[in-house]
Amino acid sequence: MVRTDDDNKRLRLLVIDDEPIVGRRLQQVFTKMGFDVETYTNPVAAMETMDRHPFDIVVTDLKMEGLDGMAVLERVKKKNPDTKVVIITGYAQLDTASEAFRRGVFDFIAKPFRLDELKRVIIRAMEDARLSKEERS
Amino acid sequence: MDVFKGIKKFIEDRMAGGGAKTPFPASVVFERFREVLNCNNKALEIIADLGEKLSGDYIFDKQYINDSMKTLEEAVLQSVHALNSLSSGRYQELYAVYDRLTSRLHTVMAGREDRTGPIILDLKDITRPHAVIVGGKNSHLAQIAQNLGLKVPDGFVITTRAYHDLVDHNGLRRDVDAIEAMMDDPDVDVDAIEPLRIKLETSIAAAKPPPDLISLIGERLDEMKVRLGQDLMLAVRSSAQEEDMDFSFAGQFHTVLNVPADPLAVFDAYRSVAASLFGRRAIRYRLRVFPGEGHMSIAAGCYRMVDSKISGIVYTVDPSEPGGDTMMIVSVWGQGEAVVEGRASADTFYVKKGANPLLVRQKIAVKETGLYLKQGGGLETRPVPDALKDAPSLTVEQLEKLSIQAMQLENYYRRPQDIEWAIDGKGDICILQSRPLVVADTMAQQGSLAKALQKYELIVADTGAVAQQGIGAGLVYIVETVSDLDRFPEGAVLVSRRDSSQFIRVMHKTAAIVTEVGTPVSHMSTLCRELQIPCLVNVNGILSLVQNGMEVTVDAEDRRIYKGRVPELLAFKTSTNLNIAAAKEFRILKRLLNTVSSLNLVDPLMDNFVPEACETYHDILRFVHEKAVGELVEMGRDERRLLKDYWARPLDFPIPVGILVIDMGGGVSADVTGDKVPFSAITSIPFKTILEGLMFPGVWHTRAANIGFGDLVTSIVNVPTDALCGQYSGHNIAIITNDYLNLSLRFGYHFNIIDVYCSDRARDNHIYFRFLGGATDITKRSRRARLIAIILEAFGFNVESKGDIVIARSGNMPKVEIVRTLNILGRLVGFTRQLDVQMDSDEQVDRYAEAFLMGDYEIVNRR
Repeated sequence: MVRTDDDNKRLRLLVIDDEPIVGRRLQQVFTKMGFDVETYTNPVAAMETMDRHPFDIVVTDLKMEGLDGMAVLERVKKKNPDTKVVIITGYAQLDTASEAFRRGVFDFIAKPFRLDELKRVIIRAMEDARLSKEERS
Repeated sequence: MDVFKGIKKFIEDRMAGGGAKTPFPASVVFERFREVLNCNNKALEIIADLGEKLSGDYIFDKQYINDSMKTLEEAVLQSVHALNSLSSGRYQELYAVYDRLTSRLHTVMAGREDRTGPIILDLKDITRPHAVIVGGKNSHLAQIAQNLGLKVPDGFVITTRAYHDLVDHNGLRRDVDAIEAMMDDPDVDVDAIEPLRIKLETSIAAAKPPPDLISLIGERLDEMKVRLGQDLMLAVRSSAQEEDMDFSFAGQFHTVLNVPADPLAVFDAYRSVAASLFGRRAIRYRLRVFPGEGHMSIAAGCYRMVDSKISGIVYTVDPSEPGGDTMMIVSVWGQGEAVVEGRASADTFYVKKGANPLLVRQKIAVKETGLYLKQGGGLETRPVPDALKDAPSLTVEQLEKLSIQAMQLENYYRRPQDIEWAIDGKGDICILQSRPLVVADTMAQQGSLAKALQKYELIVADTGAVAQQGIGAGLVYIVETVSDLDRFPEGAVLVSRRDSSQFIRVMHKTAAIVTEVGTPVSHMSTLCRELQIPCLVNVNGILSLVQNGMEVTVDAEDRRIYKGRVPELLAFKTSTNLNIAAAKEFRILKRLLNTVSSLNLVDPLMDNFVPEACETYHDILRFVHEKAVGELVEMGRDERRLLKDYWARPLDFPIPVGILVIDMGGGVSADVTGDKVPFSAITSIPFKTILEGLMFPGVWHTRAANIGFGDLVTSIVNVPTDALCGQYSGHNIAIITNDYLNLSLRFGYHFNIIDVYCSDRARDNHIYFRFLGGATDITKRSRRARLIAIILEAFGFNVESKGDIVIARSGNMPKVEIVRTLNILGRLVGFTRQLDVQMDSDEQVDRYAEAFLMGDYEIVNRR
């Protein structure tokens, strides 16, 4: 189940992509899986929401107006280092990928992708979050 | 010695040719043929890839579409270039065809398709590609009438093209462009667009008719009056592009009822409908459900006004129980407008769905008044006669008929429907509208769906591939043979060993399709995507896990099949207000694929196999491939090109066929050094296979075997004059590579050409077979040709035969199939070699065909 272990609350997932279709589609898929999903086409607005209420997992597009995926990654990690960030991109570039990994991205996924691929990444991210929590405690 | 003769002829031709184009050497032809294959492959891969994205199983964006289309355009153009360079520019007209299709694709990508096409269309003439200019609602009504045979009101549609004409004619284009540009921003401020919105709404409501519109409306009205009577009245209903597709837009746009059948009155109603595109509520609704989609247009349906005695709504699921199997029917006396707007008390019936719908509950209201048509136009409220006030407005028979139609609509559109209907004076049910029913599902919203699903028994989980996403429940119906489809029950889940495009016959009543084998790129999968049938393929062992009549729920999103009905999943399906296929990217991709992927140019033997008939990129690729093969065949017949560059070596073979082998690469093992090529050294798969067929026991029958090589040469010399049309000069020549064969084969008085490409890629592969001639009279020769045609058809060839000529084609099949077929072809060539002398009656044709198909090759010797 897609719940945190301690308080039985649903995991919060944030999706940021300037193409509305991506958010709408992921909202549908991850809501069905049991996540509490919020989607934004505007990264700045998404960050404002995050400042008020952190997310467990953030899925963000790389190339966006206003604030790109790398900047989102930096903001998220600064605010809450435990949040897992997955970057989706239509322009997979090796240098960006290695830079993103250096800055703590959980994984990279290139558009177009199968929903299954992203689901697998998200499930890994959840497990990873649980492991690091156990290590700490 | 024959070689020398050939070279001599070649030189003579060169001397006499005086300016005639020198054909390319074989190596160049073959190289360019491979280039054609490469370009075609590249293009077909992109097409398959684009098609697969429509399954809903992918996340893609506009960028992906743009990039793919760009690469595709280039690949198709390359393919046209390659054919022209192969054929010395013989197919120049393909460039014009390419340009026409490419510019159509650009129009689609720019979202400008709704500005082209007819201004007015009769409902009966509307087909799928018209959806974009007639709007969702009208397109649905046309489908309902044409595909389900249900009654809908007679009428015509004023298309989106007319809307754009109206905008241009009234000088509103700049304002429209401006508001669309603002709305292209998903985060636009609603208040900022308000002034423009108001301006457009009022301008359009008072707009002048563009030229021709009034007279075109008048013509349609006159025709309708002839069909329906002079007292015709109309309902003018909105139909926006996206309406009824995903979000209902229910009540967002205008509808004008009971309009006199006068062109000016209809235009007046039309422009008020068009103006409602910019209505305050409509724009706000659009910004919410289609953020970032500025392009919009509206069509209007002008239908005969039904003088309803009874009317109402069907919800094909009870909204209070969205996962259940009960539908809800609401009805009143007279017109249904009051129900739609929730203004009148109405009867409510609950009907359990199934082969025999069952009324389970009803609430009969006291119906004091009803809405009726007013003389001269509009509606009026009248009191309901006392006797009818608290009587049920529908009889059990009417309820049953209505329920059955509603279930048909639900199955056809594969999700719960919100249906407006009316019963006219004759007692006929008329469907006025059918759109998706969306009900809020608190369970999914609260995240408890995943947990609720755990209590259901799984038949399979995480197996198979998604051909089309979706959820469907029903009774399993196993299809073993095509004839099983004749008895396919409404709303069943089709389970089958392999996929078949034949399933199209029952897709309109299928809840879901599951197959043991198959791929998401098959024809069937494409059809499922077109018709939105939830479909899982490659589900291992499914046939051993389900039985006929077993109820299952197929979740072709998470690749799970549950035993029984899973109401929570069905409720989830009803609640998802995102039908992925209705999203902009999907709509664009789907429309692009209309001009890209369907194949109209199927049969090279038909008259329409010409460049001008190409309606899609796929047609162009098909045409290019066929003609490229033709060039190879020509090359094989033109030995001048061959003997010049290649070392032709005689084949050393137990049967005296007298073949010269020309190896263009990999066709003969490298360690052969002598002047002759032993059979054992042939590494060309197609050539070797044909020869094996010739050697098959009994095929090369003994009588014929007595004729030696010398005899063959004699017969070549003695070719009858009627056969000397140029085709007969030449050798028995095999041009080969490891995966290619072009074989010109003469036996006595007849001539075979076999051209084969046999690679690891099924769609590159082809077999071309041509047979001509004979030594006997034309009647006997024609009988043999017919015999060959019958046998080839039995092996799946596409066959054309005329007189003593047979041309057969096959292809697009895996190597193993090509090899199997070639072996048969080898046997056939041997078998029929001298049969024409024995073809002394028509009955012989069937007898010999039967014998060959049964493997009885000795029949020839029993005479």
